[in-house]
Amino acid sequence: MNPEATARLSELLTQVTGFIYPNEIEIHWSILIVVYPYITGLVAGAFILASLENVFNVEEVRPTYRLALLTAFSFMVVAPLPLLLHLGHPERFYEILLAPNLTSAMAMFGFVYGWYLMGVLLLEVWFEYRRDLIILARRAPAPMRWIYRAASLFSSDISEAALAFDQKAIRAITIVGIPSAFLLHGYVGFIFGSVKANPWWSSVLIPIVFLMSAIVSGIALVIFLYMILAAIRKEQVDMKCLDTITSYLFYAVIVDFTLEALDFTHRLYESEESVRILGTLIRQKLFLSLIVLQILLGMLVPLAILIVAKWHQLSEDGRKLLYFTAVILIQVGIFSTRWNIVIGGQLFSKSFRGLMEYKMAIMGLEGFLTALALLILPFVVLAVLIKMLPTKPLLDEAHTAA
Amino acid sequence: MPKHVVRLLILLGAGLAVGLIAKWLFTAESFYEFGHYRADSVAEIAAKEPVLQTAAYCQSCHSERHAQWSANNHKTVTCETCHGAAEGHPQKGKLPIPADTRKLCSLCHEKMAERPRTQPQIDLAQHGAGQQCATCHNPHAPKLAGVVAKVSGDAAAGRKKHAESCASCHGTNGISPNDTWPNLAGQNAAYLVRILAAYKSGAQTDVMMSPMAQTLGDGDIQNLAAYYEGLSCKAPASGKAAGDAAAGKALAQNCAACHGETGVGTNPAWPQLAGQKAVYLANTLKAFRAGLRKDPMMAGVVRGLSDADIANLAAYYAAQSCGPRKTS
Amino acid sequence: MKKREAIGALRARRLFLRKISLAGAAVAAGVVPKVAAKSEAAAAQKSFPTPDYDWSKRQWAFGVDATKCIGCLRCVEACKRENGVPLTAHHFNTWVERYVYLEGENKPRVDSHADPVNIAASGSEREYRFANRYQDAKVEKAFFVPKLCNQCEHPPCVQVCPVGATYKAKDGVVLIDAKYCIGCRYCVQACPYGARWFNEEKGVTQKCYWCYHRITKGLQPACVEACPVGARVFGDRNDKQSPISLFIRNNRVHVLKPETGNAPNVFYVGLDKEVN
Repeated sequence: MNPEATARLSELLTQVTGFIYPNEIEIHWSILIVVYPYITGLVAGAFILASLENVFNVEEVRPTYRLALLTAFSFMVVAPLPLLLHLGHPERFYEILLAPNLTSAMAMFGFVYGWYLMGVLLLEVWFEYRRDLIILARRAPAPMRWIYRAASLFSSDISEAALAFDQKAIRAITIVGIPSAFLLHGYVGFIFGSVKANPWWSSVLIPIVFLMSAIVSGIALVIFLYMILAAIRKEQVDMKCLDTITSYLFYAVIVDFTLEALDFTHRLYESEESVRILGTLIRQKLFLSLIVLQILLGMLVPLAILIVAKWHQLSEDGRKLLYFTAVILIQVGIFSTRWNIVIGGQLFSKSFRGLMEYKMAIMGLEGFLTALALLILPFVVLAVLIKMLPTKPLLDEAHTAA
Repeated sequence: MPKHVVRLLILLGAGLAVGLIAKWLFTAESFYEFGHYRADSVAEIAAKEPVLQTAAYCQSCHSERHAQWSANNHKTVTCETCHGAAEGHPQKGKLPIPADTRKLCSLCHEKMAERPRTQPQIDLAQHGAGQQCATCHNPHAPKLAGVVAKVSGDAAAGRKKHAESCASCHGTNGISPNDTWPNLAGQNAAYLVRILAAYKSGAQTDVMMSPMAQTLGDGDIQNLAAYYEGLSCKAPASGKAAGDAAAGKALAQNCAACHGETGVGTNPAWPQLAGQKAVYLANTLKAFRAGLRKDPMMAGVVRGLSDADIANLAAYYAAQSCGPRKTS
Repeated sequence: MKKREAIGALRARRLFLRKISLAGAAVAAGVVPKVAAKSEAAAAQKSFPTPDYDWSKRQWAFGVDATKCIGCLRCVEACKRENGVPLTAHHFNTWVERYVYLEGENKPRVDSHADPVNIAASGSEREYRFANRYQDAKVEKAFFVPKLCNQCEHPPCVQVCPVGATYKAKDGVVLIDAKYCIGCRYCVQACPYGARWFNEEKGVTQKCYWCYHRITKGLQPACVEACPVGARVFGDRNDKQSPISLFIRNNRVHVLKPETGNAPNVFYVGLDKEVN
């Protein structure tokens, strides 16, 4: 072992309270594994928002449809990176795709990711943008033109029949896509919820809680991006759209809160062997991140803000300000949720007799800066995508010109 | 179906095909042979060479040591537990002989309430006066020979036997007339009983003592021992000893746990050394060193002593004034 | 080590080339070849995994008599030497726990040799000793409990491994393929016993494997060999007279955390209700 790592662990050893099994001193799933479910949650949530328009024909949210789709896509592209960087042997990652062990929740990654990214997101984006790609290919100068042409598979068919087919395809994909989005984040929750050795994780509710919090965070992110984008472009925010989406957000937060409260009450009432150590865990290690950040600031305060914004006839600007504050607080809250599950689940000994300590590194592959970079990266991808693909359907100049 | 959808399906199909071919090409050799793992890895894991070699390996060279070890209480403590892994030995060099035996032995024998009562345990603060364990205990045969023999003899009868058989050599008062034969006056009775019994049984041999002892009955031995113990050990100063008593004093630290700091010990099983004849002491130590006298503990103690060390030790003990044994 | 890796890389390349040429030949011949994943070497052998050892004939099991353990930690020392486990206070294939009930207390005080007090007593992280920290206390009941990988009948670590780098061998031992492990550490999370640890340098998980390289050569695991008081028992359950078969038959044995359904193959005598 390198002396630096050993010294780090030795220092952590002095901060252990109670008894732990000797090998437990190391926190194996670090900040990167906090980032992973956070990002996939945003993907699932953003996609589900995008689906609303298509499947349930909610015209009000139409202005955010493409944005939500591109957001889901750019976060999905980045999602595997934290997993990859965290591996002891990243170069062996392909094994999980070549010969997945079918009893392993984690091995489902390849299927779920492949299916969701290739089978759902990419196809939906393609069908949605196909017409625009063809138009762009006609307009754009040399290098970009070829990219657009390749992306449209060298087709230039924007006949009524073809576009009608595209619309049907999008609808079919979305219908398949909603359960797929549930599957994507439900599976991430299952990775944790199925670990019977860990009473903090092991719960049938965890996948559902993950899913609901994913929807909450995804919707909040799209609202955030929509408002920012409007400000950058100096465009009017469609308040009807914003009011509708924040209503969804409000209900999603309530369902999420209810589920988490149910999970908590259930554990407390059953009072199994582990209840004592989990109580100590919350009091001593997770008070700030769970009680203050996740529940108070990340859930109750945003709920209150949304109630105020809806029930009092506030001005547009006042509502915008409140919505914006709420969605930022919600992001903090959901990130804390991921932290509390991933890190919190590793801070107590499986002997139920002691607590460990996690010290986040700043530098290094598993440090704070890497995590930060991974959280910024999807926004960079999104910026590039928005530059290339318009968030509003193009007016067909070709037709008008003709 | 529109043409662009056909193209898309072809692209997806090609992607799937590439994936399947990749799976066929790159899946590790021997995977799936017995299950969802590389069968070859079982053999790879089994192929590793053992590091600890077991006592049988040590026996092939150290047969004598092995014989002693395997006949004694520590036979459950393997060679490599104390001497380290034998992998690469002897090619790569010697294995260590633990220096700090107090640290090593206390791993098992320090008194702790957590240990089962059947485990022999010592209170480190009370036992051995801080000396290394190997000073008294031979790690390969740790049990001390110093089982205190019962003494129930009649001193008066012993005096009569002494006058008949022993006085000519060991002196009328148990003070030997020359430097080669030991003084017996004031010597521990339990020690005398043990040592005479050893001459008698042949466990210990001496040209002169063996035939003498064989004529003694068990009663005679008891009586003699009781008689000698009662005599005064005060002896006239003998000639100057060959060794350096001051140097001997430093060496004697290693003997103090059993024989006392000045050669007056507390355990009657072991002999008093203070005021003993220097030449006798030196000869005896050399006999231990050469294996002529057998005692597992002494064998370990004298192993490292030079002739000069022995002379110095002998000089030191010979110069000490004997006294009544301190009772423990 | 380097040489071995080089050989491994060469081997992989050779395999790849062989498959490529096979594919080429198949395409040339116009037939679809059957997937020939079997390595001829393994298939040809009569006994597996080595010529002298047939894993289908054995069913290994381990016994621990906690009433005999004296807490000397020679097992830990032997294991570290035998298996090249880093000499730190944070990585152990096997370890020993101490449970002490003091008079007037109804919960035991628990520590292992990796506790800072015990590390201080041993002098360094590279040596292992229990400090005599209760010598002046009134001890009501106290004992040691050795721990190691339980080689479960239904190992959760094997269940969760995404790639099949850890698996249950036919003779019952749960092995880790260090050349295949991707280092995701899901297995570490899944083990309720804390038996697995991560080797930062090798980037793979490691754990006790009952000294598979020794038991397949007719030797005892290093810890069993080293234990001076016979607190550790090892053997083949297929042999009704083996030490482990007798141990299980002649004692009322217990396993750790039976409620998990993992069905451990390390059997204990002398456990206390507080041991988990």
